[in-house]
Amino acid sequence: MFILNPLIETFDLSYAYRTGSDRQVQALREVNMHVRQGEILAITGQNGSGKSTLARHFNGLLTPDEGEVLISGLSTSSRENIPSIRKTVGMVFQNPDNQLVSSIVEEDIAFGPENLGLPPDIIRKRVDHALLTLNLEHLRQESPNQLSEGQKQLVAIAGVLAMRPKCIVMDEPTAHLDPRSRREVIDNILRLNREEEITIILLTHYMNEVVHCDRMIVMDQGFIMMEGTPTEIFYQDGKILDYGLDFPVATRLARSLKLHGIDLDDNIIHTREIVERLCQLK
Amino acid sequence: MPIEVTGLNYSYKKGTPFEKKVLYDVHLRINDGEVVGIIGPTQSGKTTLAQHFNALFIPQSGKVIVNGINTADKKADLVKLRHEVGYVFQNPDYQLFASCVGEDIAFGPRNQGLPSEDVAARVKEAMSQVGLDYDTFYSRDIFALSGGQKRRTAIAGVLACKPKTLVLDDITAGLDPRGRDEILAVVKRLHSEKQITIIYISNSMDEIAELAERVIVIDQGRIAFDDLKINVFNQPEKLRDIGLELPELMTLAIDLHQQGFNIDPALLKFDEILQSILDSLQEGQVRE
Amino acid sequence: MELTKNITLGVYLPGNTAVHRLDPRTKIIASTILIVILLLINSYQAYGYFFLFISAVIAAAGIPPGYALRGLKPMLPVLVLMWAFQLFLHSSPDADVIFSWWIFSATDAGLHLGNMITLRVLFLFTVTTILTLTTSIVSLTDGLESLLRPLKKIGLPTQELVMTMVIALRFVLILAEELDKIVKAQMARGVAFDRGNFIQKTRKIFPVFLPLFINAFRRAEDLIVAMESRSYTGGKGRTKMKTLHMGRVDIACILIILLFTGLMVLTIFT
Repeated sequence: MFILNPLIETFDLSYAYRTGSDRQVQALREVNMHVRQGEILAITGQNGSGKSTLARHFNGLLTPDEGEVLISGLSTSSRENIPSIRKTVGMVFQNPDNQLVSSIVEEDIAFGPENLGLPPDIIRKRVDHALLTLNLEHLRQESPNQLSEGQKQLVAIAGVLAMRPKCIVMDEPTAHLDPRSRREVIDNILRLNREEEITIILLTHYMNEVVHCDRMIVMDQGFIMMEGTPTEIFYQDGKILDYGLDFPVATRLARSLKLHGIDLDDNIIHTREIVERLCQLK
Repeated sequence: MPIEVTGLNYSYKKGTPFEKKVLYDVHLRINDGEVVGIIGPTQSGKTTLAQHFNALFIPQSGKVIVNGINTADKKADLVKLRHEVGYVFQNPDYQLFASCVGEDIAFGPRNQGLPSEDVAARVKEAMSQVGLDYDTFYSRDIFALSGGQKRRTAIAGVLACKPKTLVLDDITAGLDPRGRDEILAVVKRLHSEKQITIIYISNSMDEIAELAERVIVIDQGRIAFDDLKINVFNQPEKLRDIGLELPELMTLAIDLHQQGFNIDPALLKFDEILQSILDSLQEGQVRE
Repeated sequence: MELTKNITLGVYLPGNTAVHRLDPRTKIIASTILIVILLLINSYQAYGYFFLFISAVIAAAGIPPGYALRGLKPMLPVLVLMWAFQLFLHSSPDADVIFSWWIFSATDAGLHLGNMITLRVLFLFTVTTILTLTTSIVSLTDGLESLLRPLKKIGLPTQELVMTMVIALRFVLILAEELDKIVKAQMARGVAFDRGNFIQKTRKIFPVFLPLFINAFRRAEDLIVAMESRSYTGGKGRTKMKTLHMGRVDIACILIILLFTGLMVLTIFT
């Protein structure tokens, strides 16, 4: 299959965690997938499905036991490619407390560009731009441990943004946030994709976040079980429930209404879509 | 064992340059057998308030009286009080400290000084209450548990102390939908079968909607609402102003209501909303 | 209950005073000089001067005095023990006995030594606290790295050493936060940390350490993974956003420190 503009490709990727001397847990099994330049891809699956392990292959934090991962054509298995790969793919993790290095916001954001060995004035420009893009300018001199969890996560995203990656992988960035901060973080991620043309890979099990993505992958027990647009996947006879996930509220309602004989198309995933459609029917 | 809070104030890091007032003149009473939801944005003071209920925090001013015992009283038996008001924390990694599930659950009753056969019986009972099979899980390594199982072990560890009140502090954070549903089912069962008073803290209105009868909304250290769920959820604008996200189902109902559907936005049960929509559509067709 | 309240080491207190604005190298050099002075002085008069000087620095940095001393609170039992140790166990033939109890006797020489050592520890702690309260972790790193650069020529991995130290400092607060949560979780299940005698109390501490270290290691690992994925490779080829440069304040500060050192040298030798 020919894929237009592949940024990330995996070929028969398998990986196992070794626990103890001879025990091992197979986390990924023959995973074949790709990420297109410019898209927002959601990777979902219940805890332990292997999504985090997969994500850690995208910037060479883990390397395949078998198979291969290519980032812009470079294999993560050769060590000399790693610096260039980490410049291309940035990562944001679940707990912001464990990824902030400095005790001042702007210094933390500068940490990545500093590691890239950029001249001071360029670093300054990138830090300013990242602060501006995520509306964090007023917090520039604050200490991260005085910020709210949502603000800390935005600082972590700014730190990655300042490295100017082509792609940002977000490993459940909203799992520990309250719903309001969760939406704020998601809005910012969507904006980065739109305005800065950054490819986004979002790991999540909140279906109301998945509906904003261009494409989604469902994982279970280390396998890729489903792949397609959110609409396609949510209307494949409810298979998603077998993998411990849920429907978005609008889809759940639409499916139930259909069972009661209401004429609805198989493409409703957003709340506003179902409201519009029901108004037409009334 | 009612919990009475009067005029409670608390400042975090009092006396340092980082001092921050987190509770302002809080008054409330929680009666036996209630299921109370406490909701508020992060850092609104929910946890600080709740940790006053089992004397992990002692009021800086005001009073907290649990079953007639003033927690600030120097002679109060706080250990006994903490067994009666069980507290399950947000992150199970902090409260599981033994190597296997059974040993961890036995920690509380052993601290109570119970003989070993009683401890064993307590562990068995607590495990069945949270749906962990005794034979399968007793000697299971804590590190080999899934997120949902860890949380159930943490709840069992508290249940083994035979609490009359259970404070559950944001215990579904980070769980996937299946894990979350399992935990909610356990909580519902504890209330209906054991009549344990439940104080359920969350920042998700969806979960509060599913569990609680009475809802207390905390906004920047102050009680913004303390009322029956239906009365609180009937004021969506105010809740939004406080910084809470309405349940998605509720925003959907509000939208439909505004579009002329005969539907009550404070309906929170999926089936009720479904029925209202079906009725509305039918009415429309009859009118035509 | 808040355990983190009394932790001041590794905490940065944002501010814009002259002390905050000093080049980190100036602050590190000044602190080092003060520490050396502390190790040499041996009279109440000298400590008196030192006290006045440190008070002036604390005032200039806008640190509330109570807060600067708060970090000592958890150390208090150790300090008292150390003082008593010197008081009773120091013996010299020509010392006068102040009082005796059982097999112990306290001498005036012991009292003097005890006082001196306690004061020394107190001030050492205060000097380091002032440094970390007014210097962010990154500028502390930059300063240390720059000062240690000559050692790199003889093959010492200075950047790695500095980064390790900085992360250790960052973890003081993280450990305190973890400890706070674990102690609370255990209290909630009936552990009475405040009851029983010394041995019973100590024994209760042990079950706290297992989860504390497991969680601390987990967090340290997360931090390392996050740093690695932000292209940190041990400092090689790293540049800085804020270039260090010494200004007029730094010269003034060095002058003040030199003057103070002169005064101290005088008190030591007269």
